[in-house]
Amino acid sequence: MNIATKKWIMLKISSIILIPLMLWFVLNFVSIYDKSFEEILNFFSKSTSRFLFSLFIIFSFFFSALSISEVFEDYISENNLKNVANKILYLSAIIFPMITIIIIFRLN
Amino acid sequence: MENKNPLSPHLQIYRWHVSSLVSFSHRVTGIINFISVIFVCIWASLLILGESNYILINHMLDSIFGKFIILGFTWSFSFQILSEIRHLIMDMGYGFEIKTTRISGLLVIFGSILLTIIIFILGKNLF
Repeated sequence: MNIATKKWIMLKISSIILIPLMLWFVLNFVSIYDKSFEEILNFFSKSTSRFLFSLFIIFSFFFSALSISEVFEDYISENNLKNVANKILYLSAIIFPMITIIIIFRLN
Repeated sequence: MENKNPLSPHLQIYRWHVSSLVSFSHRVTGIINFISVIFVCIWASLLILGESNYILINHMLDSIFGKFIILGFTWSFSFQILSEIRHLIMDMGYGFEIKTTRISGLLVIFGSILLTIIIFILGKNLF
């Protein structure tokens, strides 16, 4: 299978998973963002919230990395610049969710 | 090394229509959502520093500027949700007629505004 086809299939699978997760997250974020520290901590202490939030950030970063790399492909002609941009993008898509999930699971 | 692949044509070359507006907005909201999720990660991670540090970001989010950011962020996610559903339907081979693409594009644009309002009504328990 062509690498571009594989990338397209991964993009579509992550999109199907991400749609309900985005809806769940935005609804919950709008209801808690201005709440007190204890209430937000209480939200993240629930195992369902932790699990869904972790899934949401993993798939968000995965989907964003794949789709933004397409934007780089379309608008950046210089190969070295495109490679650097893609490396920064993929690295941030690993580091940000990893650190956040570790912190979320350490919250009491 | 210069890539020989053709790049996307400049946005000023073609006349704007609903499909191009939705396509362009889909890419822009995709980048906005990527930045938003980074901020969400920082927001969630700040909880570990305790209440006194968290209160700073809480004040920012509770200000007029913060509420405007949250509203924009909600619209951006709403747009992506509807636009992705449109893409998935098109991937299945439906909705390629010019009239249908215009209608589905308009549904994404106006639907995203409606979905933002619905999310705020449900999220804030305004019923």
